[in-house]
Amino acid sequence: MDTALDGLRVIDLTSGIAGPLCTKMLGDIGANVIKIENPRGGDDSRNTGPFFKDDPHLEKSLLFFYLNCNKKSITLELQTSNGKKILNQLLKNADVLVENYSPGYLEQLGFGYEEIRKINPGLVMTSITPFGQTGPYRDYQGSDLIYYAMSGIQYASGAYDKEPLKHGHPQSLYMAGLSAGYATLAAVYFKLMSGTGQHIDLSIMEVIASHYIDTTLRYSYAGLIESRAPKQNGGSFKGTGFDGIVPVSDGYISPTIQRGRQQGKFSDFSKFLGAPEINNPKFESKDLRNLHATELDEAILPVLKTWKKMDYFEAAAEDGWIVGLVQTSEELTNSAQLHERGYFVEIEHPIIGKIKYPGDYLGLTGSPWSLRLPAPLLGQHNEEILCDQLGYSRKDLVRLRGLGAI
Amino acid sequence: MPLPLEGLRILDSTTMIAMPYAMALMADMGAEVIKIDNHTSPPFPAAIHPDLTPGTKHWEWEGSHQTLHRNKLDISLNLKLPEAVSIFKDLVKVSDIVVENNRPDSMKRLGLDYETLQKIKPDIIYLSNTGFGHSGPWKSFPGIGRMMELTCGLSQFTGYHDEGPRRVGYAFFDPHVGWTSIFAILAALLYRHRTGKGQWIDLSMYQIGTACMGDAILDFIANQRNGKPMGNRHSYLAPHGVYPCKKDNTWIAITTLNDSQWKSLCVEMGNPTWTKRKEFTDNYHRWNNQDELDKLIGEWTKDFADLELMHKLQSRGITAAAVLNSKQILLNPQVKERGLFERVSHPPDSDLGEKLYIGRPWKMSLTPCSIRKPAPGMGEHNNYIVKDILGRSEEELTRLYKIGALGTKPLDQKPRVNNLPWKQQLDLGIIAGYDPDYKDVLNLKDNNQKEIT
Repeated sequence: MDTALDGLRVIDLTSGIAGPLCTKMLGDIGANVIKIENPRGGDDSRNTGPFFKDDPHLEKSLLFFYLNCNKKSITLELQTSNGKKILNQLLKNADVLVENYSPGYLEQLGFGYEEIRKINPGLVMTSITPFGQTGPYRDYQGSDLIYYAMSGIQYASGAYDKEPLKHGHPQSLYMAGLSAGYATLAAVYFKLMSGTGQHIDLSIMEVIASHYIDTTLRYSYAGLIESRAPKQNGGSFKGTGFDGIVPVSDGYISPTIQRGRQQGKFSDFSKFLGAPEINNPKFESKDLRNLHATELDEAILPVLKTWKKMDYFEAAAEDGWIVGLVQTSEELTNSAQLHERGYFVEIEHPIIGKIKYPGDYLGLTGSPWSLRLPAPLLGQHNEEILCDQLGYSRKDLVRLRGLGAI
Repeated sequence: MPLPLEGLRILDSTTMIAMPYAMALMADMGAEVIKIDNHTSPPFPAAIHPDLTPGTKHWEWEGSHQTLHRNKLDISLNLKLPEAVSIFKDLVKVSDIVVENNRPDSMKRLGLDYETLQKIKPDIIYLSNTGFGHSGPWKSFPGIGRMMELTCGLSQFTGYHDEGPRRVGYAFFDPHVGWTSIFAILAALLYRHRTGKGQWIDLSMYQIGTACMGDAILDFIANQRNGKPMGNRHSYLAPHGVYPCKKDNTWIAITTLNDSQWKSLCVEMGNPTWTKRKEFTDNYHRWNNQDELDKLIGEWTKDFADLELMHKLQSRGITAAAVLNSKQILLNPQVKERGLFERVSHPPDSDLGEKLYIGRPWKMSLTPCSIRKPAPGMGEHNNYIVKDILGRSEEELTRLYKIGALGTKPLDQKPRVNNLPWKQQLDLGIIAGYDPDYKDVLNLKDNNQKEIT
């Protein structure tokens, strides 16, 4: 079957998580992605764990592996004139360029958007930076922790009497890659309609701030500043009345008294729990549950301790209650739902060997997600791209290597 | 100025947060998004009313609704009636994309599933978003963003390192799903552009979430390792934390990405003797001694104002940020200069005046997007859509209203007030503060300011 972006040519000048996720997504639906890495060790994520069998080898980072399947890698030193010339040639024949250098760095090298537009006016250039290309913080240092802190989301997360909390896995970078992905496709669509490329300027901090849609509204609608969690915390959470994460006998779940879009009846909920005796008019509405959060916890937590997490999750979901299940990586790996949906696919990597890979997240049935290439070795496709596509000879490659260009 | 998705028409038959938000973004990008509203269903339960007071049209004059439906057209259909279903089908014939997030089979029962609709519009792109997808043992399970964060594996890493898992944010996962849906729709659109073929998109929130946990899943596959709560810490960098500042409940996040940043931080701290102890001289040892390291840094930060310390550290090239609250981010100069929050003027007959809404975290140089108009009222475009788009007669329109196929007001108008008075919220710790003068603070125009209790 066909892929969605068959024939789309993407030049990938990114490193780390956000940029590589964006180009992986384009590669996953069929784009030809050429990843340009510096010859001094390549993408930063090659040095970042987890590693296959805990072996910190340049070609065994599972983070790099996950984010760079469906791409080809060439090495290019952009500080050299030969490196610049090759990039120029590649950009002439490309549809999309994705980059995540600090603002101003590519201008210094002669590849700012104004120059790029002269090289190829149809090119869509996507720049992913901590705070964007403009504004007083443009040159500030960013990291996952910093994006959470500045976005407003961290202030409103965590325990009442502890420091603000962020997610324990760098979601800000994944979210930035995803957002850059859809914005890039919108610009590609516009290019098909109009023939013109353009520059997309994405701020990672603003991506995380965009997760905060309801909370800033409470200030601009009513002057309320969101807090982390109520004082009498227990299971209750921000006025929704009992949907915190609570322990059961073998792990954690998040039970709710919500059915579909609407609040359910506490009497029905206590029957579902197998404990009709805890039904109490004090717990009937969200507001009441907030007011009596401690009592509610005292009534409900012992009952939950009699449940196992998967039993609770499946029974509650069957009965229409909204429910969350804290799953581990092991449980995801063995998830019957994911297996039945054909989520895991196997791929052979020249150094790692055969490994299962987390697959389709798009559900395109006519032009499906596909895994065509394992993550490339550093510079694995130098010969294919430089000789076969750009017409350099093998002798030239040797000279370029000597010059430090590749 | 052109918009990137001009000329596309989308039927938005979705509810809750993730999909309506995605369709609002597509409307920002210039697609004509027709929200298929439903006057027979109760209003969205998570209401944010101006000054906590539901107005006469509280189902529209409400923060979530205004954020999630800006730039859209609105037709309100009772799809239990065949006349309304026929309107929907006629709209499909002149649309590019249909988006729905009902439980599997419910669109089939209405005769509005992909199989049926692709017979009347063969190149239609049809996206179904569900918690777990349309196949598999969990296909009928309800899925909402707030819960998916747990089920997809993110919560195994999230929480203070000496406690069980916690959530971060309120509905963090909803935008995540929404953005992925836009990517999938645009992929299908580009495919249609090349091949002329439409398709069905069977989006699963569960798979979307696990896709952003890929390295963690591979860590289990290769190394049999699961995640554990990380607090604010990093897997190898230290310091990497949030430290108290001078005013109560103000904080600064600090990390050092390399030795030179650490040296600069030591200089800023005045090179105290503890920094020369072997537990702290290199990152490897600092990471091993984080409990003490965090305490010592916190002792230093507590004498500073959060923003002042952020600027001071950043000017020395150190990775630091004040932990901004919802008021501070609305007033932040970086966010302001880039216009992340857009100012929208609401019609004078509404209770809303001017408000700020989150825009988009990216800028397009040639096709700048914006919130061009506030969310429509229920059924505001019934007449335009039925007469001007579908070419039905005035008599037909009257009949559709008469039988209740079209509507302009919800049948159930009981307000879903789920806000306690602000004093009680402050007392319970549900909010950290209340500014009665917030409209002046944000410079929001208003014609009927009132005190709230």
